[in-house]
Amino acid sequence: MKILIIEDETELLITTANYLTKEGFTCELAKSFAAADEKVSIYQYDIILLDITLPDGNGLDLMKAIKQNNLQAGVIIISAKNSLDDKISGLDLGADDYMTKPFQLSELNSRIRAVLRRRKFDGSNIVEFNEIGINTHSREVTVNDVIINLTKREYELLLYFIINKNRVLTKEAIAEHLWNDNIDLADNFDFIYTHLNNLRKKIRKAKGSDYFKTLYGMGYKFTDQT
Amino acid sequence: MKFLNKINRQYFWTLSISLMVVSLVGYFVLRMILKDEIKEDILEKEYAIVKEIKSDGNLPNIYPIIETKKVTKNKIEAKSYKEIYISDESENELEPYLEYTNTVKINNQYYLIKLRHSLLENDALIVAIALPLLLLLILTFTILFILTKKWNKTLWKDFEKNLQTIESFSFKNIQDLSLKQTHIEEFDRLNKTIINLTDKLSKDYTILKQFTENASHELQTPLSIILLNLEELLQQDLPEQAFKQVVASINAVKRLSSLNQSLLLLTKIENNQFNDRNELIINKIVENKMQEFTPLLEKQQLKIELNTSESLVLKLNEKLAGILINNLFSNAVKHNIPNGTIEITITENELKICNTGKENTLTNDTVFNRFTKENSQSYGLGLAIVKQICDNHHLKIYYTKENEKHCFTINKNFIYFKKGY
Repeated sequence: MKILIIEDETELLITTANYLTKEGFTCELAKSFAAADEKVSIYQYDIILLDITLPDGNGLDLMKAIKQNNLQAGVIIISAKNSLDDKISGLDLGADDYMTKPFQLSELNSRIRAVLRRRKFDGSNIVEFNEIGINTHSREVTVNDVIINLTKREYELLLYFIINKNRVLTKEAIAEHLWNDNIDLADNFDFIYTHLNNLRKKIRKAKGSDYFKTLYGMGYKFTDQT
Repeated sequence: MKFLNKINRQYFWTLSISLMVVSLVGYFVLRMILKDEIKEDILEKEYAIVKEIKSDGNLPNIYPIIETKKVTKNKIEAKSYKEIYISDESENELEPYLEYTNTVKINNQYYLIKLRHSLLENDALIVAIALPLLLLLILTFTILFILTKKWNKTLWKDFEKNLQTIESFSFKNIQDLSLKQTHIEEFDRLNKTIINLTDKLSKDYTILKQFTENASHELQTPLSIILLNLEELLQQDLPEQAFKQVVASINAVKRLSSLNQSLLLLTKIENNQFNDRNELIINKIVENKMQEFTPLLEKQQLKIELNTSESLVLKLNEKLAGILINNLFSNAVKHNIPNGTIEITITENELKICNTGKENTLTNDTVFNRFTKENSQSYGLGLAIVKQICDNHHLKIYYTKENEKHCFTINKNFIYFKKGY
């Protein structure tokens, strides 16, 4: 899977690239509009992360070149501006998703996977982790090939954990993922306990292992490693 | 008072006073001239009388005009004029006369001559002077009034038009202020000054607006770097102490970012950057929010009651409407007590959200202030945003305490007195 990261801030670029490389992607980097424009017209990518504010141009203008030469690429716009107008015009131009800075890597990963699943129809709509399988198309979850019934939130929670497996996730990050941008929830993140406990019970009932590890009461990790 | 009324009033006073002075002066001057004429007339009469006495010794006597008599030397009176009053027999009232007294010596005999001339014409004189002047005053003023009224329509037309343009001008519009040339030096000078002034203010306003926005945006990038690095740090096998410190740092960065975004949002609302407004049914938005908040409500075991007999329709920006309801809900949940309640009442004109909660010292005047907060977990911006949205959409919002419940009411039938810009 090839990803092109277009971002003018070196530090951000490198951290993101390192993380995505660890996640198994091949990353190429572009620090300017010109460099990005060149890469987009020569090479093919599966995902393009596009920062709108570049020193030598507006990232939205790159959308045209991307749609001409990289039609199969999923585009996720990353912007410092939480501007509805930019979001709408970005999505209108054919972007698949829109994220605002600052974002978390686990969230970025989830969004990339979601775009990939949506774009490819050749069976990649199955997310698997040991005995757990998720069909993201039919939204069915199986444990040991037995379908279990999950609520919408439990389903999203499980998918988020599997995609970000072996990764420490804070309660806040999980809550935000489930909650989108409901600002100002303050210390009310504990409600995910309930969802998580129900999810664990349902998996255990289907004789699945409990992969959820609680870290000092502040975060979770979904892993089969000890 | 209108400029023209003021001018007209001043014209009126100036004219009245000057005409009064003119008529007074005229009156005295005319009287003096008349008196001189009378004296001349009297002297002529005296001459004729003396001539008659000399020729045939006749003493003419016509009361009260002519009086002549022989006098002895010791009764001689010197030549003099004086004003006296004589009662008039026919009309039985006192009338003014100018009396001339003189003693003449004819053929060694002294004759006392008294000649009188009526001054009654004076009254007529005043009328003769004042009446035309009064007519002049009325005529001049009427003509002036009609003319200025007529000029007003032409001379002041452009000025009036420009005034309207200035009144409706707002920095929020992209268009520059353009004023019509009036071809009147003072007005054109005023126009030029106003245009220069607004251009400068407009530039400053744009710069300030951009600065706030850019500063907020630029903050997000370093915040992103901090957040990503902290997140990566968290992935290493950290001891509990370090883990907690990193999580605390992540949350602090997020709070900072969210605070920044809230401030940016507030600035944007203040700058009226959400202009597209639609008729929205508030009931629907409230119902959607209720569902979204269900897990939070369950967690705190809050009971929610929704009373909607009527639909409330407000003309709002859709995004802002979402934020408005969301912030009110957040507030009702955040400041609630375990096993508390939230009551929502929607009528045709009102949305009222009441929640149980702890005692506080907040009032309607302070609760909407920025950074007014009851606990350290909130930013104190949520309700400031709510207030700003309501202000921008000309809705009234107020906070009351009813039966130990905290209530926020949004009312749409409120005449919003626009501040003069």
